[in-house]
Amino acid sequence: MKKKFLALLLAAVMVLSLAACGGDSGSGDTGDTGSAADVGQDAGGSTASDYPTKGITVICPWAAGGGTDSCLRAFSDAVGKQLGQTLTVDNRTGGGGIIGHQAISDADPDGYTIGMITFELSTYKPLGSSELTWEDYDLLCRVNRDPATVTVNAEWAAANNITDLQSYVDYCLAHPGDVQMGGSSNASVWHIAGGYLMQETGIDIQMITYEEGAATAVQNAASGFIQGVTVSLAEARNFIESGHLICLAVMDTERQELFPDVPTCQEQGFDVTYYVWRGMGVPKGLGDAELTALRNACAAAIETDEFIEYMQNAGLGIAYLDANEFGDFLQQNAEDVAASMEVLGLT
Amino acid sequence: MDFNLLISSYSAVFTNVQVLLMTLLGAFGGVLLGAIPGMTATMGVALLIPFSFGMDLIPSIGLLLGIYCGGMYGGSISAILIHAPGTPSAAATLLDGFPMTQKGEAGRALSIAMFSSFCGGVIGALVMTFLSPLIADMAMNFGPGEMFMLAVFGLSVIIAISGKSIIKGMMSAFFGMLLCTVGLDPTNGIPRFITYSQTSLLEGFQFIPTLIGLFAIAEVIAGVERIIKGSEKQETSHEKITNVLPDLATIKKIWPNILSGGLIGTFIGAIPGAGGDIAVFVSYGASKSASKHPELYGTGIPQGVAATESANNGCSGGAMIPLLSLGVPGDAVTAILLGAFIMKGIQPGPMMYISELPTVYSVFAALMLANLCMLIVGCGGVRFFAKIVSVEKKMLYPIILVVSLLGAYSINKNVFDVGVCVAFGVIGWLMNKYEFPLSPILLTLILGPMCEKNFVRFMNIQKGNFFAITTSPIAMGFLLVAVAVILFSIYNQNKINKRQAAAKAAENAQE
Amino acid sequence: MKNKTKTLAFANLVGAVLFIVIAIWAWFQAEGFQEVKGSYVQPATFPKIMIIGLLIFSVLLLIQSLWKLNSMKETDPLAVPAQSINFIKDKSIAAGVLVIVLCIAFVALFQPLGYVLSSFLLSMVIMYLIGKRNWVQMILVSILVPLVMWAIFYKLLAVNIPMGPLTFLRTLADKI
Repeated sequence: MKKKFLALLLAAVMVLSLAACGGDSGSGDTGDTGSAADVGQDAGGSTASDYPTKGITVICPWAAGGGTDSCLRAFSDAVGKQLGQTLTVDNRTGGGGIIGHQAISDADPDGYTIGMITFELSTYKPLGSSELTWEDYDLLCRVNRDPATVTVNAEWAAANNITDLQSYVDYCLAHPGDVQMGGSSNASVWHIAGGYLMQETGIDIQMITYEEGAATAVQNAASGFIQGVTVSLAEARNFIESGHLICLAVMDTERQELFPDVPTCQEQGFDVTYYVWRGMGVPKGLGDAELTALRNACAAAIETDEFIEYMQNAGLGIAYLDANEFGDFLQQNAEDVAASMEVLGLT
Repeated sequence: MDFNLLISSYSAVFTNVQVLLMTLLGAFGGVLLGAIPGMTATMGVALLIPFSFGMDLIPSIGLLLGIYCGGMYGGSISAILIHAPGTPSAAATLLDGFPMTQKGEAGRALSIAMFSSFCGGVIGALVMTFLSPLIADMAMNFGPGEMFMLAVFGLSVIIAISGKSIIKGMMSAFFGMLLCTVGLDPTNGIPRFITYSQTSLLEGFQFIPTLIGLFAIAEVIAGVERIIKGSEKQETSHEKITNVLPDLATIKKIWPNILSGGLIGTFIGAIPGAGGDIAVFVSYGASKSASKHPELYGTGIPQGVAATESANNGCSGGAMIPLLSLGVPGDAVTAILLGAFIMKGIQPGPMMYISELPTVYSVFAALMLANLCMLIVGCGGVRFFAKIVSVEKKMLYPIILVVSLLGAYSINKNVFDVGVCVAFGVIGWLMNKYEFPLSPILLTLILGPMCEKNFVRFMNIQKGNFFAITTSPIAMGFLLVAVAVILFSIYNQNKINKRQAAAKAAENAQE
Repeated sequence: MKNKTKTLAFANLVGAVLFIVIAIWAWFQAEGFQEVKGSYVQPATFPKIMIIGLLIFSVLLLIQSLWKLNSMKETDPLAVPAQSINFIKDKSIAAGVLVIVLCIAFVALFQPLGYVLSSFLLSMVIMYLIGKRNWVQMILVSILVPLVMWAIFYKLLAVNIPMGPLTFLRTLADKI
């Protein structure tokens, strides 16, 4: 009996020491406190210089490994270096992002819990799934945006002489309800993008939802099960490069770096801009000094080479807006999204 | 196929010390993580991605593949030893693995699981190396209709895992399917059986807490009961583990199961959206149907363990095929791996085979290496892990309980999930008592969402015309096989019942 | 055949009735699901198909067990005595039920007390309940196992677990 107990203890010790080893590699980069003080003084607040004094938790409302998660992890790293503290990403998933978004707004406003808010925040109220809106947060900045696209199956397009957005719209007008486009899950950004397209061009297309995410929708479109997708360029990239899909237009004001040959909707005479956004938010009631320190750190982090290179590799667009601009943007976005969701019958 | 390049890539990977070390480390971590109920290979890979950023591509891919393969095997350790599958892919392993432990053959079960995992993984890696363009073409032909029929095919295994009563098995299955529909309707976002205010249930019962509840918690409750009753046997490790690998006689017995399991795993893994959790049940059902003694399945036989374990590691090779050749991830882990490739500036997809062929071959080699590392780690661990069952039961049960409850929490960091886990523990305990089989619930929890989503999507695309499915040869093929499996399992079950009745009669006659 | 209520066949009968009740309740719930325009499959469709399946097999079990109860012999596989859940009469079942109650208490205490403390209490009480009296082992196991699990999750995997009054351990762990 004693022997077995010893074995158990031994196991415990082994695991413990393992844990300790793992810790070493994680906590190596806490020495850079100089820059934090700088940031604090820049902000002009006298109390800001001693914030932050410990690690900050960053809530991610989406699962580890996804687009929001990878964007946030890179950004947290960059912000952490500015603040001289470790920012730990905490994935609080579930309920279509509601659980995580709720957790950010419910957190103590002490500056040690912040989070990333995403496009879906604009959909909760129209859907009736939650009362949360952008006004439940103090904003730090917008980090990223990626436009929706009109991307169609190449064979289908060739068979129906569709070469640009105009011919696509003409075809859809002639065949109401026949064209099926995939987004990702229900009431997600790419799904609603389809509603916006319908609203702005007067066409009638059928949006098919893909719970599994954009990748399956893209594969289905490339194989011709549906005619096209509205997902971002990065997500459809593979099959555009291989020639299975053609991107007719991006819903943005300017062309994208990833495929500079693809024209915008505006260039083709349709005033359609639509994109997913991600930004940083904190619970309401945070002190001014902390807010300024965080905002300055975010503004500086977004310009670091490391972060820019990371986002480029990931195919994620950087689109910084400061807190005020972000607020104006969100107000407009909430209205637009509600209108498009009505077109799709989602409200 | 450029053999020179293939060979040089393999030798480059196998002689690179950094790659070897990283893969070994990954496999070690993966086995440990997988063995903790609630920690899945998916989480391991996701959490370690940031650590891999600083490395070159191949070492970091080696690390991640090591976790992937190690986690696949690690999950079966807890399934075999404590009736709690560490990962969904190990769910079917407990059907025969745990009874083996109860028979005092924990070490044997572990070594069979390890050996089969390795062989399955190698089969997957080989298929991936030589057939991936072919299989990628096949994967492209899977649309909603095909996926729906694949789910139906998976569900056809239910009867084979129903135990004594087909009626009760079917009740469990439909009950499980009904449980899957709790939460937001996947297609339209309409709340079902809940309201919007029940945020924690919007996405339904979380799979891992449910799984842990039904199996681990239920087992602990029953175990405490047995201890008080005095009927609990204390397994001691008088099982001598002379060799960490299974002996030749065993290998002779299980190799057909390993071969078919590996191939089934690779095939199902290659279909985007279908992973190890489905493959293991299909493989188990196939192995049981093909056996001359189907009645022995579920009583703790090596074939059952071999069939499931080879399938879930075969999957890892299979899932890499659409990832590399189409850029479409086959399961959650490969979705994260896709991110890792992109971070390194490599875009998996059809172009990768043209522009990045050396990288592709290096990934093949890394997968092979990862399986080898898993075998090495496994061999080192068999003796150690087998000791766990000889921990005094009075201590083991509380330990299982606190570890499992934490596993339920860690998935979403939501206390509600711990409550779900306990609730399903009670359900599992009651259902066990009255001989309602739990495995069909497990299978339907895996396949139910896939089944419904693709059914609804198919109907919407076809504008309500279900019979359009007859135009898809793949879907019809699955349907035919599913019907055949159902008929054959019913026939088999009758045979089993008759044999058992005869055996009982003989027993009575002797008395 | 005496005392048929103790047999598995009778337990099946009870089970069948229970599932029929669940199915009927679920059906009425499903009737109330919101309808969606433009979708070819309503949110209620799939659950309803499953409810019908559950009903069919529950009724089959009901018929089977009624028929067996009426005319079964001692040797019938369904004539074996079913297990009991009478926790007043049977001490072992009372222990099982107590474990369930303890688990529920664990869930309630998880946030305020934190994982390590509530696990400590849970495993101490259960060990005592099942007759373990070696206090040194009991305390060591009850402290070390949750603590090690927490350490793995916190340090290796960067997963935060509620620690209640023991939150200071995080600061301690950060310094290692």
